[in-house]
Amino acid sequence: MLKIKDLQKNFGSLRALDRVSLEVEGDSIFGLIGPNGSGKTTLFNVVSGFYEKDGGEILFKGERVDGLTPDGIARKGLCRTFQIAKAPEKLTVLENMMLAAKEQRGENPFSALFTRRRTARVERENLDRAMELLEVLQLVDLKNEYAGDLSGGQKKLLSLGRVFMLQPDMILLDEPTAGVNPTLTMQLMKAIKELQQREHKSVFIIEHSMKVISSICDKVYVLNFGKKMAEGTPAEIQKNEKVLEAYLGGA
Amino acid sequence: MVGIYGLLAMSLNFQVGFAGLINFGQVAFFCIGAYTSSLLATKVGIPLPFCFAGGMVISGLFGYLMSIPTRSLKSDYWAIATLATAEVIRLIALNEGWLTGGPFGVMTIPQPFQFLFSRDSYPLFYLVLVLICVLLIYFALSLLSDSPFGRDVKAIRDDEELCLSLGKNTRQIKLQAMVVAGMVGGLAGALFAHYITFISPENFRPIETFLMWAMIIVGGRGNHAGAILGAVIIQLFNVSTRFIGEYVSLSPDVMASLRMLIIGLLIILFISYRPEGLIKEKKKVYYLKRRDGE
Repeated sequence: MLKIKDLQKNFGSLRALDRVSLEVEGDSIFGLIGPNGSGKTTLFNVVSGFYEKDGGEILFKGERVDGLTPDGIARKGLCRTFQIAKAPEKLTVLENMMLAAKEQRGENPFSALFTRRRTARVERENLDRAMELLEVLQLVDLKNEYAGDLSGGQKKLLSLGRVFMLQPDMILLDEPTAGVNPTLTMQLMKAIKELQQREHKSVFIIEHSMKVISSICDKVYVLNFGKKMAEGTPAEIQKNEKVLEAYLGGA
Repeated sequence: MVGIYGLLAMSLNFQVGFAGLINFGQVAFFCIGAYTSSLLATKVGIPLPFCFAGGMVISGLFGYLMSIPTRSLKSDYWAIATLATAEVIRLIALNEGWLTGGPFGVMTIPQPFQFLFSRDSYPLFYLVLVLICVLLIYFALSLLSDSPFGRDVKAIRDDEELCLSLGKNTRQIKLQAMVVAGMVGGLAGALFAHYITFISPENFRPIETFLMWAMIIVGGRGNHAGAILGAVIIQLFNVSTRFIGEYVSLSPDVMASLRMLIIGLLIILFISYRPEGLIKEKKKVYYLKRRDGE
């Protein structure tokens, strides 16, 4: 589904990504772990088009996507969330969900004024879907609150909801559980897993907690100093001594 | 005049309050709409409705041009650019005498349907005409800001990166917002020109833009009714203090400065104590169908 070949990204003389190659398969959850500053978020930023790469190739569904604009990449069906959850301050939770919906009409002034009936119909359909997702994410009661007023964890839930509204083929999740309490973390993971299984999407996830990774990921990739350190199933990774030393602090 | 300023304030509010585009050159739309329409009427001599439409179209096109630098300029730098652009427009009007009449402006601009009314009743007719325009624009902008387009626009104001990550073509959406605002501003300009029948570059100084800003700061941003309310308040204040001049023995110069001083004070007070303005941004609430069994 997503194929990264020899990807490079430098910040000055720092090699943030040093010839990273990996492949994420369809209908699976792929984990990316590594110590702080190992290049995980940089990798996401390059893949999603927010940073320019310095070398290598990115193929999505067999097509080159490096060099496209962030919105162009999102329209190809590759969508990301941010480590610090974004939430437009003066848009309500439900508006956020509607904002993200994939099929929309009335997004330009002309169609907004002159095809109101069709717009309204599409909006109603999206509204139903938004409410369903909010139920899964347990945000229904907050639907008319401003997103800017939500707690950090709720914002994270909301960004998940937005991504699922968009119905991309692949989702890049940047630490969806950072700063979220353990109970909510487990809920989030459950929600991700549930949604993934229901919609058969691929999920590419950055995560710190080994527990989280091993409970939902099919495959894990370990990054250290911008380079590949290991790759394998969660069980294999947990036994890998190099990883244990660098990442889990030795034992 | 209140109505015309109401239009200008709504146009500015659509840019600032909804799209988050800090435009300090709002007067340029006003100027372009006024000049285009009056020149079409006096030099080309086409029927007045077409002049008005022409003013809106050219001003909308100008909105398109103004939005191009938003791609590469951050909002505050863009704001400075708009201020400069508006001055450039005014200076063109001042110096390209062959087209605009230079400092002498455009004179004897025809008034629509003048032949149907007496001199005394004409202002009343014009008032109705302006009010109809205000209502129509209010209605159209409300529909727009309530639509998916309006939602995109507000989301870009709050977080552009997020919109990019959701696949929104933010450049195009901002561009469309500027064109809409430009057309409304152009309409206000045309209405102005055909009302006072004489325009010159003097009418389009940067101070006009700041009056419009005062209107949306007082009235409230992200809210069309707030823009109109702000226009009414500031404009009433402006006009009423003219009459006070007859009773208070102050020279007109002092009065004019005092007026700006008070408006400035008003802006400061509002920003410090009621930053959202008199009318708050409306929260969008979706009406959900009741499900069975609930």
